Amino acid sequence: MTPSTIANLADAPAQDRLAAAICLIADKVPDRTAIVVDAGSDTRRAIDYATLAAAVAKLEADLDALRPMGVVARARNVESLVVIAAACGRQHVPVAFLPEDARDLIGELADWVPLDDSLVVPSGAAEGLPRGEFASVPAQVVVATSGTSGPPKLVEHSWDSLLAAARLAEQWHGLGWLLVYDATRWAGIQVWLQAVLTAGRLVQPASRNPDVVARAVADEQVSILPSTPTLLRRLITSADRGLLATMKIDRITLGGEAVDANLLEQTKSLFQGVRISHVYATTELGEVFRVTDGEAGFPAEWLGRPLPGGVRLSMRRDGELLVQLSRDTAEVATGDLVEKRGSRYEFTGRRSDVIVVGGAKVYPRRVEELLRSVPGVAEARVYGLPSAITGELVAAEIVVSDPLPEPATPDNVRSAALAVCRERLEPQSVPRVLDIAKRIATTAAGKVPRRSL
Amino acid sequence: MTIADAVTDAIQTVLRDTARDVKAIEPSMLLATDLGLDSLDLAQTVVLLERSLGVDPFRSAANTAPRPGIRTVSDLISIYTAASRTP
Repeated sequence: MTPSTIANLADAPAQDRLAAAICLIADKVPDRTAIVVDAGSDTRRAIDYATLAAAVAKLEADLDALRPMGVVARARNVESLVVIAAACGRQHVPVAFLPEDARDLIGELADWVPLDDSLVVPSGAAEGLPRGEFASVPAQVVVATSGTSGPPKLVEHSWDSLLAAARLAEQWHGLGWLLVYDATRWAGIQVWLQAVLTAGRLVQPASRNPDVVARAVADEQVSILPSTPTLLRRLITSADRGLLATMKIDRITLGGEAVDANLLEQTKSLFQGVRISHVYATTELGEVFRVTDGEAGFPAEWLGRPLPGGVRLSMRRDGELLVQLSRDTAEVATGDLVEKRGSRYEFTGRRSDVIVVGGAKVYPRRVEELLRSVPGVAEARVYGLPSAITGELVAAEIVVSDPLPEPATPDNVRSAALAVCRERLEPQSVPRVLDIAKRIATTAAGKVPRRSL
Repeated sequence: MTIADAVTDAIQTVLRDTARDVKAIEPSMLLATDLGLDSLDLAQTVVLLERSLGVDPFRSAANTAPRPGIRTVSDLISIYTAASRTP
């Protein structure tokens, strides 16, 4: 069955939806821009829906002829990833997305054929199964975890779970979406699926440089900004003020890391009327819940009773958040620590991020939040340094605001930051190494790295 | 910069970062009693010295043998002097 409108897409089987959407949109508005790559730079390039649809049709024909066991998407360009996903889905060929740091895992998919930006299925590809149901192979879509805690691993998904969070209602149609995530990871895949399924414009900046991102957002009329808190913080603290003022952001969806109240306040005052939600999701579980009230953490009453959709949250005695997706699935330990503050549960960090100093636990997020609240501090990262004397030692780096208000100097911002930490934190949590950095490095997933680099 | 200067600098930085009086450091001073340094202060001193001298004698594999007690500033200077000689 071919859906006749985007809103009807949900009636089609999940694996057919992406290809069906591209064909449908290409039919109605062939010239509409689907994807802008290298946005905010001189090498900007736009791809329309007709071009995407033609590439999908060609790849579908090749896949149908060769029937590989599975496809490993090794393409670098996001438009190729979209085409590969759409064609593999509708042809019932399993597909794996492997980011650079997970390329070692390709051995697990030895029988699958690699597909690069040429989108040519290698001839002599291992003969696969006849076109049938996905049930005959173990996975439909394979995605690697971000490796925030431990080495990346492959996780198998169904098309249903991949598309579970996509919103197809009319209010989502034709919008501009920013892609700052790695397009091969769960979070990035979610953004391009959502944009293309709803006839939107996917805008990928040429780099994560704050000025390039800001120019991409302003020039390409991006109205929805999915981001990690770290990348958003870098954008609003470091991008050109004039460019920021021309951005017209309706919605910011944060994910990948916990959000602090400070960042939420700054964001609300910079983009008047913006709606901010944060998504709690993991590569293994997919989206678990979404907080839309613009406050940090989640309402305390969510713990212990089923949420709409059947998700149940609970907390282990040590504060680790447990998730049960539905009655007949197992409870999963998330590795995320929560703490009750007033009427909310707020995230205090990852279990694996805890720094142990002389036997006492230090939660780096808490220290980072405090550092960022110090006037003159734009960004902060807290990590553990190995020490033969205390096991680990708390170390931090801060980026000072540019420009600094007179008469502040980087040195007295540093002293003020240390003074605030001494006053507010236990002795073992006060950073013993506090460096001033030009910028804070982020991981490929756009998060703050936790161990010494 | 001599090793003694580096040790003195590191201790003074620790005292300054923790908002204590930065006094003149004498080799005979007792780390705990005279300077009030606890294990966190010492751990910070070791990190600072690793940066300025490029060695951490407390972490190197050659130093697994029991160490004599480190009680004074000059004990610390001796350990770093020995470690710098046998890289």
